[in-house]
Amino acid sequence: MAENMLCSSSHEYVYEKDGYYYIGLTDYAISQLGDIVFVELPEINSTYTKGEIFGTIESVKAASEIYMPIGGKVEEINEQLIEKPELLNENPFEDMWLIKISAPHFEEDSKDLKEYSVYKEEVE
Amino acid sequence: MARTYLYNNHIKLGAKMVDFAGWEMPVQYTSILEEHNNVRKNAGLFDVSHMGEIFVTGADALNFLQNLVPQNVEKLIDKKALYCQFTNENGGIVDDLLIYKLKENDYLLIVNASRLETDHNWLLKNKKAYNVNIENKSDIYSMVALQGPKASQILSEIGIPINEQPKTFYITEAKLLNEDVYISRTGYTGEDGFEIIIRNEKISELWETILEKGKPYNIMPIGLGARDTLRLEAAMSLYGNELNENTSPVEANLSWTIDKDKTQNYIGKDIIMSQLKNGTDKRLIAFKMLDRGIARHEYGIFYNNEEIGKVTSGCIAPFIGQNIGLGYIKTDKNLKVNDTIQIKIRDKMYNAMITTKDFITKHNKGN
Repeated sequence: MAENMLCSSSHEYVYEKDGYYYIGLTDYAISQLGDIVFVELPEINSTYTKGEIFGTIESVKAASEIYMPIGGKVEEINEQLIEKPELLNENPFEDMWLIKISAPHFEEDSKDLKEYSVYKEEVE
Repeated sequence: MARTYLYNNHIKLGAKMVDFAGWEMPVQYTSILEEHNNVRKNAGLFDVSHMGEIFVTGADALNFLQNLVPQNVEKLIDKKALYCQFTNENGGIVDDLLIYKLKENDYLLIVNASRLETDHNWLLKNKKAYNVNIENKSDIYSMVALQGPKASQILSEIGIPINEQPKTFYITEAKLLNEDVYISRTGYTGEDGFEIIIRNEKISELWETILEKGKPYNIMPIGLGARDTLRLEAAMSLYGNELNENTSPVEANLSWTIDKDKTQNYIGKDIIMSQLKNGTDKRLIAFKMLDRGIARHEYGIFYNNEEIGKVTSGCIAPFIGQNIGLGYIKTDKNLKVNDTIQIKIRDKMYNAMITTKDFITKHNKGN
């Protein structure tokens, strides 16, 4: 588990590693969704501001939008999830990041995010 | 919210509970996909106690029912089930239901939970001078559905030998756990299977017995999530999605449930007969996605950039491994099976193909 993981109220997480920021869905979000059958991720090099919708995740029951916990430019997407969305259910959530971004405004954008342990207490 | 007499059983099994038509029901126990596939491969047990049981008896019971449905109830032989709809003055569907003929002028009606109160009122409103007793016994009875290719073997394990089991679309009155029960060979999954009606007080014991005896057959409890994907994969309509008061059986692709030669009048007959003759402005179609995308309720259906209808149900069809759906389209384009249409998903167009309504062929025929 990344020690510096921060979470949004819409259940996205972000952590920093080697100067990049990894964004994904919390274990709570994944357990609430159930079987994930479809993931739509953004184009590489597209930029989003904090709070913008950058993708969609679909369980058997419903489609949900995914929001940027912080703003930034998409450097890489987790390609394997496009073909195998079920990996989100089958693997530790912190390994199954959705996008990797560069985030020049991390300090400012991350002010309202909560540490994972605090977030976890609040949702459970 | 109301709870069925199996609520504690669901909690014990770790079910995720949701609100369905005012009932607190299990949506899944483990995984919708796993539950779905287990019903196709082995067997599953569903709590359907929220559904309504209405008994119609009396000297005019047959004539009373004949006035309410486009099917010909007169043709129904003892112990046989008939799938039909209550239609309103405009030919719209008040509810879809099963009518079982228990014996002469003695019928059991199984109706949707979401429509029970409306249905009961509909029956009372149309009772008029008919000499009938209308008894809503939904508060007395609970119901489970045992579905899947292993269902018949499991039923024999709990005391109903194969040769005493009802045939497909028949009902039998039997003794189970020293209790009088109704067992019908019906369901909402596209599989062989049974629905068992028993008094509330005995349902928990029945549930546990079936799960216990079904263990060697890999039975699983199944939630409403998989109930929905199973019925959609079997291309069956759901009241509230495909069927409503503004949609007729002709539009809903249920013309096979209309007896064209029925001489008796029934509510909405003029409109329904005229629709059969002259056609309708909209009709229900089945489709499968060609592009990668999942159609959902209320998404637009397009043809040549024109919106021609709406999706009523859509999902991943777990067993056949395709994304499928049902929806209504305008008939003026004369679209047919194998024609390509588009589904608008989050502002983008995705290709889909109109198909016949046989996503799964019934691979396990009952008896």
